[in-house]
Amino acid sequence: MLAFIGRSAIQKIITLFFVSIISFLIVHLAPGEPSQIDPLNPKFTQEVLERFRKEFHLDKPLHIQYLYYYRDLLTGKSVSWKDNRPVLKKIYERFKNSLWLFILGTLITWTLSFPVGIHAAIRRGGLYDRSTTFLAYLLISIPGFFFAYMLIIFVVTHFHVPVIGMETFGISSTGWHWFMDRMWHLLLPSILGAAGGIAVLSRYVRNQMLEVESQDYVRTAKAKGLSPDKVHYKHALRNALLPFVTMFGLILPGLIGGSVIIESIFSWPGMGRMAYEAILARNYPVILAVNFISAILVLVGTFISDLLYMVVDPRIRL
Amino acid sequence: MRRILIAVPTLFILFLLQSYLWVPSYEEQGENPERLNEFIEGSIGDAQILNPVLSADSASSGIESKVFEGLIDRDEDLRFRGRLATHWEIFEEAYFYVNDEAWIPKVGKKDAQGVVKLLRDAIKARIRENAPLFRSLGKIQRVEALPARSFEFSKKDKNAEGKKIAVTIRVAAPPRIRLILKEVDQELFDHLSGLLGREYFSSFDGARFIDILPETFSSKRSAYARELLPATENNPVIVFHLRPNVRFHDGHVFDAEDVRFTYQAIMNPKNLSPRIADYEPVKAVEVLDPLTVRVVYKRLYSPALGTWGMGILPVHLLNSKALRQEAMHRGLDPDKFTLRQSEFNRRPLGCGPFLFREWKADQYIVLERFEDYWEGSPNYKRYTFRIVPDLLTQEMEFYAGTVDGYGVQPHQVERLSKDPAYQSFSGLSFGYTYIGYNMRREPFKDRRVRKALGMAIDVDKIIKYVLYEQGEKITGPFVKQTDFYNHAIEPLPYDPEGALRLLADAGWKKGPKGWLQKNGKRLQFTLITNQGNNLRKAILSIAQNSWKHIGIDVRTDVLEWAVFIQERVNKLDFDALILGWSMGIDPDLYQIWHSSQTGPNQLNFVAFRNEEADDLITKIRQEYDHERQVQYCRRLHEIIAQEQPYSFLYVGKWTAILDKRIVIKEVDPEGKPRYSRIQPTKTGNYTFYFNKWIKLPEVPRFEMEG
Repeated sequence: MLAFIGRSAIQKIITLFFVSIISFLIVHLAPGEPSQIDPLNPKFTQEVLERFRKEFHLDKPLHIQYLYYYRDLLTGKSVSWKDNRPVLKKIYERFKNSLWLFILGTLITWTLSFPVGIHAAIRRGGLYDRSTTFLAYLLISIPGFFFAYMLIIFVVTHFHVPVIGMETFGISSTGWHWFMDRMWHLLLPSILGAAGGIAVLSRYVRNQMLEVESQDYVRTAKAKGLSPDKVHYKHALRNALLPFVTMFGLILPGLIGGSVIIESIFSWPGMGRMAYEAILARNYPVILAVNFISAILVLVGTFISDLLYMVVDPRIRL
Repeated sequence: MRRILIAVPTLFILFLLQSYLWVPSYEEQGENPERLNEFIEGSIGDAQILNPVLSADSASSGIESKVFEGLIDRDEDLRFRGRLATHWEIFEEAYFYVNDEAWIPKVGKKDAQGVVKLLRDAIKARIRENAPLFRSLGKIQRVEALPARSFEFSKKDKNAEGKKIAVTIRVAAPPRIRLILKEVDQELFDHLSGLLGREYFSSFDGARFIDILPETFSSKRSAYARELLPATENNPVIVFHLRPNVRFHDGHVFDAEDVRFTYQAIMNPKNLSPRIADYEPVKAVEVLDPLTVRVVYKRLYSPALGTWGMGILPVHLLNSKALRQEAMHRGLDPDKFTLRQSEFNRRPLGCGPFLFREWKADQYIVLERFEDYWEGSPNYKRYTFRIVPDLLTQEMEFYAGTVDGYGVQPHQVERLSKDPAYQSFSGLSFGYTYIGYNMRREPFKDRRVRKALGMAIDVDKIIKYVLYEQGEKITGPFVKQTDFYNHAIEPLPYDPEGALRLLADAGWKKGPKGWLQKNGKRLQFTLITNQGNNLRKAILSIAQNSWKHIGIDVRTDVLEWAVFIQERVNKLDFDALILGWSMGIDPDLYQIWHSSQTGPNQLNFVAFRNEEADDLITKIRQEYDHERQVQYCRRLHEIIAQEQPYSFLYVGKWTAILDKRIVIKEVDPEGKPRYSRIQPTKTGNYTFYFNKWIKLPEVPRFEMEG
């Protein structure tokens, strides 16, 4: 066990090193350079632009820039070029906002997908199964932004309530009111965020259930004369759940990725939107920091799911 | 188990949905007095840095205009009016070196005293036969001779091997004459040569008066002389008289030191201020007393006055001592710490009508009214700048009542302007869209071709179908609602036949396959624009199509912004492009149209070169008299319209929508409030009286309405 942890830690650090180089190169390969000023404004001279380049170390060769950059990141000194604020602080602020969206979205996904998927599996081929299949494919194929717009327009024109942002703007409320107001503003984006997840996950649950239901031990349980509920929910479901345990580890990177589209449409001040805006502005420190942190999360996520797998399935020895 | 699996999600979803009952609807918000006292402005992007000295984006400058106040700004008619300055005077100090070798007509060689006497006599004599000279002499208030003086000057310069070494220059300057003029006169020395002789100024040889060490640099003698001993010098001076008892938001009294500090902050190279070019012509900013500032300029530069609309920073919070303290406090290196790193930029403090309260990045910026504002505090208690990065959701939030104003898109105006709940405004913006031709290349070297290309495009149709009528034709580079714009110039007619005739004159005739050609070469070029602007993309296709119709083989390309600018525009590698300029009110066109600005990375990338235009551009820059500036501008406009270096397309209209419940509230002398409808000023600025706006619980009825 310890040997496994040690080995995997070393592997992951090496991977991280390569990720850092590759992401640094990709960001610099993109055309265009960051600047705090608009190059087409006649008031700004070439000289001012040059001084900005110097300030950002952009006049240095790439490998020096790489060292400068990761030194700053690892010592926590890296600042955003757009507003001169520390990158890590910015990420932390945004992370807190994305977190709620992530938690609620995940809750909705996981609480809804299981009943839907299990029922579909039990009533395989029936009307319910077919209509959920249809719905699932619809949800997967409909573009997220389109779905979001339709939902927003519907809610605003029919209910006359604000839905954008984290709370109703211009009205300060306290206590329970405040909590419920926040909850309402969380609801639409997290439903939208969850929609795709529900579609995929419920299909996955259905397939898992079907596979387990065809196993001999389920047939035995049925033959024993157990009640169908007991067969489905105790014998079959438990075994079908196994692969999902590992999925918990893999949703971790979703935390930092956030959702660019949903966050932008709902003007949710989250990680995804920040990363997206940083890319548009060529704000290298922010792009690279988000990239680096999400790489760490991916590695930690796979590590956790490996561990979980070991815990739940005693047959597996790594 | 089965029940749990069904009950838990159902209850969970129900709990989530009931939160709807707690959210205030549009109607409920209208009843909330707190909400009525707040103006919420929706914006696509966040501000970057809230410091007028450092910021360069429009979101930041919008906030800064509310938190900070400049010495002056522009009134309803775009004329300057005093803000932190109550009034100001502009005059000129002019200098020239006595040229004792020059032969002055009728009187011969003269020394300093002789020249002074000559000038004084001429002023008294009122020589009317030379009208320009008479005009210039009439402006002179004082003439005096400054004695000869010697000084040493040292600088670093490159020697023959390209190494930088110190050079010492000893100057024994001859006596100099100082003239004080009551107003700025760019033709002063021109006219004075009518008195002192045509060669008096040009024949002055400064090189005679300098010694250079080491001697190897003697070859640069005349270059140094031009720098250190210019024959003539114009120093315009602006004296600002400041408003007494104006306070910053922290109660500190504003005075002349704040003005000087703001200037120093811009010029400090460590601060990397993007405004440095505006203030580079300033020679000195002197504090005469706490309420008087004197700004002396190195040379004639008429856009100078406009630059003082710049927000004034509080010196007591940002002087070097305060910055050092902040650096120590935050554990940073005080020697590397500059204004750019200061927390001030995220919680600014000025003496404008609103004071800063809170900034949540990418969410909102909250300002509150400043009760001690010198002009009377605004009606709104709060101003909130809210970031909603999506155009459609901005509109939705506007419907839901949580945004009061936002930049409406043309197609949204269509549906909103008919709604009785809203009032709409529109006006011309300060910018235009054009097709620019690279005049270094064939076939654009020929004016007839450029004109023909413009005539082949139906701009009216572009305005109708691409802009939904939210635009107007434009014929030249000035802001259309200013006097500088020459309204006598007719826009190019849409006339494809005429275009063909012009092209035929230029030698382009229809070939066998219907393409125009000259000497066997097809008329062929590439039209490019940047990615991300749908209007420009639409124009790209329209132009391509219109030109194809008359037999021109046009390729098009849409490039990512950074590539477009850096690889094509800056490197001058393009045939024709679609772009837009956003303009200031000031008519200075030097960077975009002067022939000295045609190199790589410069803004005259189409290579427009015209001697008369160059001369006018320089004159406009140096002219302080509005009427004469207008004359020069109209002529320049004419030349540019004739030459057609661009096909000027249109100037866009901005539109704004407000809830009808927002009105202007004024209090009459008896203390009774009077409400009136918001009216845009003549130039179309509807927010001009923003400080008097307020939102009422119901749509008001005005007496004047039938």
